[in-house]
Amino acid sequence: MRNLRRLSQILFFLFFVYLFIQTEYKGRNELGLPVRLFLDFDPLTALSALLASHAARAIFLLSLITVGLTVFLGRFYCGWVCPLGAINTVLGYFRMRTLKPNHSEGRYPRLRPLKYYVLVFVLVSALFGWNAVGFVDPISLTIRSLAIGYNPAINKIARSVLEAGVAAHIPVVSPAIDALYTKMTGTVLSFNQPIFRQSLLIGLIFTAILALNALAPRFWCRYLCPLGALLGVIGWKQVGARVNNDKEKCISCRRCVVACQGDATPFPPGEWASRECLVCYNCREVCPVDAISITATARGTGDGNVDLGRRRLLASGVAALFVVPAVAAVVQRKRTDPSLIRPPGALPEEEFLRRCVKCGECMKVCLTNGLHPTLTEAGLEGLWTPILVPRLGYCEYNCNLCSQVCPTGAIRPVTVVEKQKIHIGLAFVDKNRCIPYAFGRNCIVCEEHCPTPKKAITFVEERAIDEKGASIILKKPVVSPELCIGCGICETKCPVIDRPAIYVTAVNESRSQENQLFL
Amino acid sequence: MLDRRRFLVGLAAGAAGLLVSKGKLQAFPVPKSLKLGATDKSEKSEIHTMAVVKGANPELATRKAIELIGGMGSFVSKGDVVLVKPNIGWDRVPEQAANTNPVVVGTLVALALEAGAKKVVVADNPCNDARRTYVRSGIADAAKNAGAEVVYMEDRHYVKTNLNGEVIKDWLVYRGAIEADKIINVPIAKHHGLGGLTLAMKNLMGVTGGARNLMHQRLPESLVDLGAFFKPRLTVLDAVRILKANGPQGGSTQDVVELNTVAASADPVHIEAFGVTLFGKKVEDFPTVALAEKRGLGTGDFRSTGFIEVNLG
Repeated sequence: MRNLRRLSQILFFLFFVYLFIQTEYKGRNELGLPVRLFLDFDPLTALSALLASHAARAIFLLSLITVGLTVFLGRFYCGWVCPLGAINTVLGYFRMRTLKPNHSEGRYPRLRPLKYYVLVFVLVSALFGWNAVGFVDPISLTIRSLAIGYNPAINKIARSVLEAGVAAHIPVVSPAIDALYTKMTGTVLSFNQPIFRQSLLIGLIFTAILALNALAPRFWCRYLCPLGALLGVIGWKQVGARVNNDKEKCISCRRCVVACQGDATPFPPGEWASRECLVCYNCREVCPVDAISITATARGTGDGNVDLGRRRLLASGVAALFVVPAVAAVVQRKRTDPSLIRPPGALPEEEFLRRCVKCGECMKVCLTNGLHPTLTEAGLEGLWTPILVPRLGYCEYNCNLCSQVCPTGAIRPVTVVEKQKIHIGLAFVDKNRCIPYAFGRNCIVCEEHCPTPKKAITFVEERAIDEKGASIILKKPVVSPELCIGCGICETKCPVIDRPAIYVTAVNESRSQENQLFL
Repeated sequence: MLDRRRFLVGLAAGAAGLLVSKGKLQAFPVPKSLKLGATDKSEKSEIHTMAVVKGANPELATRKAIELIGGMGSFVSKGDVVLVKPNIGWDRVPEQAANTNPVVVGTLVALALEAGAKKVVVADNPCNDARRTYVRSGIADAAKNAGAEVVYMEDRHYVKTNLNGEVIKDWLVYRGAIEADKIINVPIAKHHGLGGLTLAMKNLMGVTGGARNLMHQRLPESLVDLGAFFKPRLTVLDAVRILKANGPQGGSTQDVVELNTVAASADPVHIEAFGVTLFGKKVEDFPTVALAEKRGLGTGDFRSTGFIEVNLG
């Protein structure tokens, strides 16, 4: 059974990676199965979004499958399915090998309740309108960390190696590497080298979480993960696979305790903690005397579940009550940040924040690498939510991929036709920097790239004398606020390379009634 | 004017097209009896320097135009690596006339391969996302089906090159454009906000990288610099559909006019000047033509000698 569990972890992880790689434009307007599938089956994301937005979505029903299986099998999801769990299993294995049965090293039983406090905190926060689950939900966390933090680095490393191989100009070898490079681009590697704001920060946080395996195997899963906590609560009966340590047979060797993935204390007999058990089957495998059996039984076989401490649970909830208003009392609530350009289809800000789980899929899938995680633009409650940074990438006129991948409907599904009518912001010409205005030379790159069929950027013509004294027609760009959808291609392509002479801000966005410019 | 002889030659070219192409060619039916005899090369046709062919079928029009200026064999040698450079700049479909017609591109690829080219590469450095433009323009499929190698211009494929131009000196250039034995430039005729029109020379911007947007500041000079450096062996203008307003990417079919025309010449300035006339404008108003003449790239007066216009119907 242990090998079966390992196989399951490998397959689910590979499937996760496959979906992750597929979360990119592959030559068709519609994505196949983006990585959100894992989020669709995540009951914590569904529950939190439900509490925060008071809106039930049909897709949440998928997570009930996970719930149903958990009632029967306990935290099998952690042990058999979760991609972060799989990574932690591998990393934790190295720590596990160093542990001695007679030491309490590598186990922190007192920390076990911590994850329940995290759970209560995020759920109460959600209830009062702050959807904080995305910061700590393992699926959101993993997708975001890989997409924003690791993927750029992995791409950079791979590309550097390949480029060095091509540049070496070794006969036969270099051309072969060149061909391989082309093959890998857009398949295994991203089509373009991804670059994200805060990639280092987000990557380091994930690295720190992985590094916790040095303290204890699967530290995150055992002591911190709120999804694990939720599944533990749901599946504590675990009637399908209860662990029983036969008191008569047990020789107190404690090998099972060391091998346990979840710090579920299969020893001493009768102390097994079902809420911590990840159904990994390690205890049964390592037991030298076959004292441990895992069977379907309705009868309790002892319960070592730690007391969560009613007062502490309450305290976590109360803490949320104080924190939620605190994070909402920020300047961004008083006046919208001009750079808060949300992707097309994004709900009105308040509703958007209630739903967005900061998984980063929209950023991963964005064709132009234009969507980036916020830092302060949306306040603390909106940390790591997506904004368009037009200087880095624009919103492609015929693309609606971000609305296809959003797991919670924070970006509602919009058709391409619908999307082309949504104003996400408005372009402004900075006449002090715009080449025709400021220097009397022609340019009009913004007008050329403006994608609306009736151009939102036109120009006024003016007779002028150029730098050589010749008479020319100078074309000065003008933006139509009725036609401009704020896609930002003008800003991306503006040849004033550092601070653009045409830029987009969020004002005039269709989703807001307040953030408007005109009567 | 079409005399009988030319008409027969035209039929022969069309028939040749029928024999080698895989497409559906109902638009230009040829009586069976004509086919065999008509492919006989013994009767030499007059070779023109510039051909403009009108025809509902872009493949036949393209084949005819090339035939009239001497056949692909006069431009492509056996074993050549050929870069066919269409405009794949925009995330638009063929009906929106923002990119070169895919059938024209595919036909040129097929012709180059028939003429013995070792390899035909089709590529562009687009303005929108390359993946989308390649697919939505229909060019990736058409060119691949015709046997071309369709490649993206990836970062490492650009090399800093001295173009030695009047305004363009050191610039990042697509390596494939330098390494190719022959370049076939296949622009589409479109309206352009700054240049007024975008024709032959402007299309060459697609083999450059770097801050090419800066070229807009001295557009005619820059374009002539590009024309002088890359010296395309053949220029084929796609005017199957032309974009009359809101160019260069358009978006609305209301701005599109179907001319069903393909023009071909080894002289890019011929094509540049001819393109201007398609829009009912005066060649004198387009400084690129005069500048290119001055640089010795060709002549704008495409009608004086060797010009032929054919209507295939």
